[in-house]
Amino acid sequence: MNAVLTFAGLDVTAADGTALVRGVDAEARPGQPLTLLGETGSGKSLVLAAAMGSLAPGLRASGRVMLDGTEMLSATHSVRRALWGRRLATLPQEPWLALDPTMRALGQVAEVYRLVRGMPAAASELEARARLAELGLDGAAAHYPFQLSGGMAQRLALATLRASGAPVLLADEPTKGLDADRRDEAGARLRAEADRGRTVVCVTHDVAIARALGGEVAVMLEGRVMERGPAETVLEHPSHGYTRRLLEAEPARWPALPPRPAPRGEVAVTAEGVRRSFGGRPVLRGITFSVLRGEIVAVTGPSGCGKTTLGDVLLGLLRPDAGQVRRLPGVAPWRFGKLYQDPPSAFAPHQTMRQALSDLAQRHGLSWAAIAALLDRLRLGPLLLDRRPEALSGGELQRFALARVLALDPVFLFADEPTSRLDPITQGEVSNLLGELVTERGLGVLLVTHDAALAAKLADRVVQLRPSGAEC
Amino acid sequence: MRALAPGRRLGLLLIVALLGFGLLGPWLAGADPAHQILADSLAPPGTDYWLGADHLGRSMLARLAHATRLSLLLAAVTVASAAIPGTLLGILAAWRGGWVEGGLVLAADAVLALPGLLLVLLLAAFAPGEFLPLYLGLALAGWVEYFRVARAMASGLLARPHVEAARLLGFGPGYVLWRLLLPGLLPTLGVLAAFGMGSAVLAISTLSFIGLGIHPPTAELGSMTTELLPYAYEAPLMVLMPAALVFMAVLGCHLLAGQARG
Repeated sequence: MNAVLTFAGLDVTAADGTALVRGVDAEARPGQPLTLLGETGSGKSLVLAAAMGSLAPGLRASGRVMLDGTEMLSATHSVRRALWGRRLATLPQEPWLALDPTMRALGQVAEVYRLVRGMPAAASELEARARLAELGLDGAAAHYPFQLSGGMAQRLALATLRASGAPVLLADEPTKGLDADRRDEAGARLRAEADRGRTVVCVTHDVAIARALGGEVAVMLEGRVMERGPAETVLEHPSHGYTRRLLEAEPARWPALPPRPAPRGEVAVTAEGVRRSFGGRPVLRGITFSVLRGEIVAVTGPSGCGKTTLGDVLLGLLRPDAGQVRRLPGVAPWRFGKLYQDPPSAFAPHQTMRQALSDLAQRHGLSWAAIAALLDRLRLGPLLLDRRPEALSGGELQRFALARVLALDPVFLFADEPTSRLDPITQGEVSNLLGELVTERGLGVLLVTHDAALAAKLADRVVQLRPSGAEC
Repeated sequence: MRALAPGRRLGLLLIVALLGFGLLGPWLAGADPAHQILADSLAPPGTDYWLGADHLGRSMLARLAHATRLSLLLAAVTVASAAIPGTLLGILAAWRGGWVEGGLVLAADAVLALPGLLLVLLLAAFAPGEFLPLYLGLALAGWVEYFRVARAMASGLLARPHVEAARLLGFGPGYVLWRLLLPGLLPTLGVLAAFGMGSAVLAISTLSFIGLGIHPPTAELGSMTTELLPYAYEAPLMVLMPAALVFMAVLGCHLLAGQARG
């Protein structure tokens, strides 16, 4: 038993005959991880589900998925069940949602020893403590999942997987929901599992994870593997056009943006000695700075350091405890706009885009022609107008969000992680668009991001917030 | 509009059929539901009386049709009187917060602590007539449910980015209420109202059955059952008919409400 997971000619077909995954060949071995790299909708997660035997009802898999000589696709449910947690284990997306919310960390690990491996209670607890200590969680044994940070929750999920002793580890988007500074850690952690002799299969849209994990990379697009090979080769010397586009979409690799003319000098918003605390905990401690029209100011820093709070205070959504916010005088309040991190949540789920935009036009007496011109500028086709948010991609929604803000001729825009939930290629498009519009419209942008590379590429100035909330 | 699930379609069909019976039945029967022909007491269904006659020789068809119409209309008015203020108060509580919300929640909890039946009894002692206490009692006991659901959902919706975005784009409270909040609440409140409709039909006939709601000689499904119960051995069909109509009305409402989606 050497725990080799092999995919050969794997197809996944929907009930209506649509091919979702076509002819995937790949292999993962102990110490030789496999990364499936691709955008949302490329079918990479379906490959993982086929291996696990957990495809949604109505989807059919054909071809071969072999684990140590067992054909997984034709195996009965009970055969597969016997492998789950023993030979084959999953590191779930957003583990803080997958952990038992009513059980302390120690219990979550100990129950694997007791229930899966049949060890007595005292010995289980001893083993569980050892697993927690290995991952630096000894201090958190008595914590519930909601008391753990994202990275800690992921380590706890990993501890339960180590406890199960399953040699094959399937990780689905291991960085989803983690801050950028935790992302590299997650990659290193999976690499460590591979180095311990586990067979790791990782599904991600994040090139950085593929690079950190090494081993073999398969780049997927529309259900097919476009390119496959050792990570160094594929990521350094891609032979396929799509892979190149994917790599170029990383902020660090963007070509330098055309230089913007100097800002107009008119101050869009100013904060003077702004303080704000939440529940007695100070988040902003006396911040002073301003954003001019025609410039992008990036604010970076780890989660919880008050980046979003700062933007909301500038927009007047939150009242500062002390200090002053001054906005360009004589300008209507709706010319200070906001872009949201999660585009679908920024639209009413029951409204079509046409409805939302025509309501806006009616409210402000704008002509539809002006809005149509704007949509054209943002490359939003008229066919998209009659869709509801659920039927639009994150990138399209973010561009619609930009359109409705721009329709009001804004002087200031607070962009709260506007690209962090978008695929890399879309991320690049939206960011470039933002950069162009700043110059075109004389728009002052406060860009909140935890991606330092993105901030460096896009912004004229970068403001760093420390966790304490003090300005650097 | 999405197509209704088969179960809900069946429910809608039942309700429409009952409504049709209630509205067209009196005209079909052509008889006065209170007109007694004692010689025809407990006449079986036949050409003279399509559904037979009751113990006082009154047309069952006419009485059942009148009773069905009464039940459905009274239930609908009761539900509307509970749902509309309940929903608006729920939204108000979520919107304003603070002491407004505190006071409304306190009032709702107080009503909830009082059994609905007791409320009807209390009102029956003070309010005149037979319809008014029943209507007031059911509406006053019923609004709490809509209040609680509307408040919980509205506070969730109000905290969502799309509401904040609408405000930043210059939309006023009217837009947020009519175009963002209510369309978001309606599907859930519709389900709740359909269930409430079933409960109201059941409550009206139950209270009338035990002599608290609508009294004879008015034809009402519950009081008809009470009246005919002593003749259950001679004419079992007569007792079963009003009971079956209550069953169909409640089933129709519950099917229409549909299953909770997973």
